[in-house]
Amino acid sequence: MKRFAIRILWSIGLVLAVIFLNFSLIHLAPGDPATVIAGESGAGDPAVIDQIRADYGLDRSFVAQLASYVVRVAQGDLGDSFFFNQSVVSLIWARLWPTILLVATALIFAIVVGVLVGIFTARRPESRLSHSATILALAGYSMPVFWTGLMLVILFASVFKVLPISGMRDVQFDGGLLASWVDIGKHLILPAFTLGFLFLAQYSRLARASMLEVLQSDFVRTARSKGLSERVVVYKHALRNAVIPVVTVAGLQFGTMLSGAILVETVFNWPGLGRLAFDAVLRRDAPVLLGVLLVSTLLVIVVNLLTDVVYRIIDPRIRVGGAAA
Amino acid sequence: MSQPVRPIAAGPRRRSRLLFTIIAVMSALALFATACGSDAADTATEVLSDTVTSDDAATSDEAAEPEAAEPAAEDTAGDQAVDTSLNEEELEDLGSDDANVAAVDSGPVAGGTLVIGSTQIPRHLNGTVQSGLATAVPGTQLNASPLLFDENFNPQPYLAESWVVADDGLSVTLNLVEGAVFHDGMPITSEDVAFSVITARDNHPFKTMFAPVTDVATPDPQTAVINLSQSHPAILLAMSPGLLPIIPKHIFDDGQDMATHPRNTEDFVGSGPFKLVEYEAGTIIRMEKFDDFFIPERPYLDEIIIEINSDPTAIVLGLENGTTHVSTTMGSAANILRLQDNPDVVVTAEGHEAIGQVQWLEFNVADPILSDQAVRQAIAYAIDREFLADVIDQGTTFPATTGIVASSPFHNAASEAYDVDLDAARALLADAGYADGDISLTIDYIPPQQAPYAEYVVQALEEIGITTELNVSPDFPTWAERVAKGEHQMTINNVWNWGDPVIGVHRTYLSSNRVGAIWTNNTGYENAEVDALLDKAAQEFDRDARIEIYGEFQDIVNEDVPIYFLTTPPFWQAYNPAVQNPSVGIWGLMSPMHEVWLAQQ
Amino acid sequence: MSDLMLGSGAEAMAPPGREAWRMFFRNKAAVAGLFLLLGVILMTFLGPYVYDEDPKDIVARPLKGPGTEDVPGLGTDYLGRDVLAGVVNGGLTSLRVAAIAAALIVMIGVTIGAVSGFYGGVIDNALMRFTEVFQVLPALLFAMVVVALFGPSPWKVSIAIGLVLWPQLARLTRAEFLRLKNMEFVKAAQAIGSSDLRIIMRVILPNALPPLIVATTLVMGGAILLEAGLAFLGLGDANEVSWGLMIGQNRTNFITSWWTVTFPGLAIFVTVLSFSLIGDGLQDAFNPKLRGR
Repeated sequence: MKRFAIRILWSIGLVLAVIFLNFSLIHLAPGDPATVIAGESGAGDPAVIDQIRADYGLDRSFVAQLASYVVRVAQGDLGDSFFFNQSVVSLIWARLWPTILLVATALIFAIVVGVLVGIFTARRPESRLSHSATILALAGYSMPVFWTGLMLVILFASVFKVLPISGMRDVQFDGGLLASWVDIGKHLILPAFTLGFLFLAQYSRLARASMLEVLQSDFVRTARSKGLSERVVVYKHALRNAVIPVVTVAGLQFGTMLSGAILVETVFNWPGLGRLAFDAVLRRDAPVLLGVLLVSTLLVIVVNLLTDVVYRIIDPRIRVGGAAA
Repeated sequence: MSQPVRPIAAGPRRRSRLLFTIIAVMSALALFATACGSDAADTATEVLSDTVTSDDAATSDEAAEPEAAEPAAEDTAGDQAVDTSLNEEELEDLGSDDANVAAVDSGPVAGGTLVIGSTQIPRHLNGTVQSGLATAVPGTQLNASPLLFDENFNPQPYLAESWVVADDGLSVTLNLVEGAVFHDGMPITSEDVAFSVITARDNHPFKTMFAPVTDVATPDPQTAVINLSQSHPAILLAMSPGLLPIIPKHIFDDGQDMATHPRNTEDFVGSGPFKLVEYEAGTIIRMEKFDDFFIPERPYLDEIIIEINSDPTAIVLGLENGTTHVSTTMGSAANILRLQDNPDVVVTAEGHEAIGQVQWLEFNVADPILSDQAVRQAIAYAIDREFLADVIDQGTTFPATTGIVASSPFHNAASEAYDVDLDAARALLADAGYADGDISLTIDYIPPQQAPYAEYVVQALEEIGITTELNVSPDFPTWAERVAKGEHQMTINNVWNWGDPVIGVHRTYLSSNRVGAIWTNNTGYENAEVDALLDKAAQEFDRDARIEIYGEFQDIVNEDVPIYFLTTPPFWQAYNPAVQNPSVGIWGLMSPMHEVWLAQQ
Repeated sequence: MSDLMLGSGAEAMAPPGREAWRMFFRNKAAVAGLFLLLGVILMTFLGPYVYDEDPKDIVARPLKGPGTEDVPGLGTDYLGRDVLAGVVNGGLTSLRVAAIAAALIVMIGVTIGAVSGFYGGVIDNALMRFTEVFQVLPALLFAMVVVALFGPSPWKVSIAIGLVLWPQLARLTRAEFLRLKNMEFVKAAQAIGSSDLRIIMRVILPNALPPLIVATTLVMGGAILLEAGLAFLGLGDANEVSWGLMIGQNRTNFITSWWTVTFPGLAIFVTVLSFSLIGDGLQDAFNPKLRGR
């Protein structure tokens, strides 16, 4: 418990460090946000630009701006977007759950299929199917995720016109709650597959490695010699050992998934944080950018913490089950 | 430890599940491969026509000027040639594409949802403080303005049922329609008009639109008198829906800064034919028919949805399968041409004439090399704008010879155009003292859509011995700042006329407008004669006299060549044949759609 | 991404003996990867001489597909440039950026990991916290910010990529050092009075090489993908031809002109795949447990 509390404290410190890093980066960069804002409204003259500078507090010193930013963040205020006439919090809030939905679905898909493939290749490591599966999985990891996405768009837009290739919902949708979920689900298929395909390889390799280790372990040999059916051996014990490292690693990879989500959201026009971030980068919308960096970092930290907790809970059982031979 | 792994009989269910997965994936790949094959054949036949590709010819307006005003488009019936005698069955039989859409012989029907696909993201919905297409398309549905404009740039009644311009030109009196109300039921009065005009004057980025307004008198609720410090013919066009939306004073006049007022998006209350029901920043804008609109039995449509999609390809696909009904942001010329070949989509270059986009190459005349007029002229002679329009843009843009677009009454077709002449170019350079290969320049461009133009210029200038390097800005603000500060040598740019030259043209050439902001006088050009001419034209009410003054202005500018004009991209619009009275007036989609209706299919 | 591939095998890698190399070469996939990589390198360095079209020249009408007459092998892009020339020449930029980034990653990552693992204690703690700051930042997002703010020159892109990918290598190096520093041969070296630096560089590091080599090959693949992603998003240097840039520039046309994005994408895919196959093969070869025998 005490260790957990210390972890949380470290995490808060981590968040502060991240804020400092990003804030400094954005302020070190060449470019004048006031000119940017003026340009976004359509034009400007020096008086207007000076006014903007005063309004947004851009004329204060770096330390003053950083301090006021941190204070506001602590109160839950991430500032207002330079581009949109809205608070950063409201923008992020609207885009948050589509991204989480996308990433979670992709993760589940990658884990389930990855583990299945991993188990299969572990049990028959030299079969041709196994080799093919391995190469296929590796292919998924080697393809640029945006290219995979584009290829899928070409396929499903021109040839198999059965799945929507853009957006999260049908704009003219006019149905009940359940039908609405089905609609979102249909739109979710391609982006989630594209994102998940990327990680399939790693999880299958990981599952395979764990499976191999377990299958050769004392514990399994004992179970077999006791006459337990093959099914029980594999399903109950080895499987658990294959899944756990995959799940923990997946949790630690949340950040990488978020990165992939940026590209996938751009290709499929998924209205998530990734697109918001990309647009913000291009528009030099610093408050939104800082906000998205902060939120995604927070998410990663939270998921890491959770993964750690989960791993600790399950850990003792691994030690019992699969000690190295 | 090294006990061999005995072959394990796997549970049949699991094994077949795995096999299925693998087979499914492999079949998908195989099918994909064949799909690619057939795709190639289709595309090869489609694109074999002589067209030029360009990236975003007509849609570089994301970065370009904020919206222009939109005078009315649909008031006059004759915007499109209408075949009256086709019934619905014959409509379905129409095999060929666009050209003119046959109208059903029944009259307008009420109802239906119109979906507009757009890549433009509005910052908010208040057009008095923000210019640009992105704000004006939803803005003109949500807000009414005093006037609409027909296809001849003549003002038509809208919120102002009549108006009078004083003989001395120093005031304009508007008589408002009786009984008009805002979306919250409050009456629209001259106080609101006054508030809107003053707000625009003080906040709108286009300073020249309302600068001469001294005050707006409101003798009674239906009458507003705009008083001017000088004669200002542009004021009428400035009262188009996109440039002067009438916003509710009782909501906005609370001391908060108008540019960041929360009501600019939240619970937006407007004066127009549609009211806001859903707004998600950067994703969707949903508007519903306003039942108490001041024009009876209008609008026809029940709902207008603006679906924002960063990928123009998705919009193109939406148009093809009928889920998107209208769009002006189809991306590249290739997409436009693809839609033109599609019988289910009508594509037209008609409309948006008032916007007047011009793409040009501008020089920083303060630069030591480029301060020499001979060098600029040489560069002008080296560039083939026909190549840009016909090959790079695949015929979807047209060559532009001056800074005022050809569709404007003020365009001077006789000004020096510097048609491509490499020998003349080389001669000029030699006379200026630059032997072949001696000059090195850099060129900027609005990323990413103007890259093809910039890359072409690099190649064209190589022909006359100038080495040019691309300066790549990662995003629009970087480019804008660089040009605003005069850190560039040459840049491709996209600037809009915005109807009356006073609004969109003067700002580039007036020596007093060298203020270090983007889309002002960024070349550093200074010519006293030009300043005088522009000043005179701004106050001259007689159209013919203005035409002559602007004619002279264009002659001088082309002679001095601070800017070499390249092409005018029209605003290509694609719409579903079911859309009747599409917005193809001089302000195009930046027009209220109260006359638009959908034919039943 | 590299530590995932290593998973549970990292702790037990043996220094590569002859047995390991034989294993590697008997692994068909790994050998295929080697050939692919050779092919890519040949194409990158010799290709421009064999097929010496300038990728930036406008050679034909834009967006003409492969097989159309008067059009070079793989068709033309949005400007009328030769797609094949782009593919042949694009590799150099991508590989160069990735190689420099990989070098940076290895230098920073190994240094920090080695120091952290060897000294332990407060230094370890501090360095790991520092590593964590960079590890929690979503890679592409942070790289985007750096490039967008500071400019897309190839060096800056390499630095941006280096900044986001080094933590994994640091963690891996640290894990290896933690494992190895208590072994006999290290204690022996300490006993005869070798300096810390010497022990790190000459004694431990060579033994830590196997997983590091594997990780580096995988990092190369990751760097190429990241560079392509940045270029695709428009954050690449437009003066150079690169595969990711080709895809990004032709993105709005891909539905009508699939060849403009398919071929550059294939090139990226093949290159990264070769690194993945090799890395995978090395991992299998160095770690007997994974061979499934």
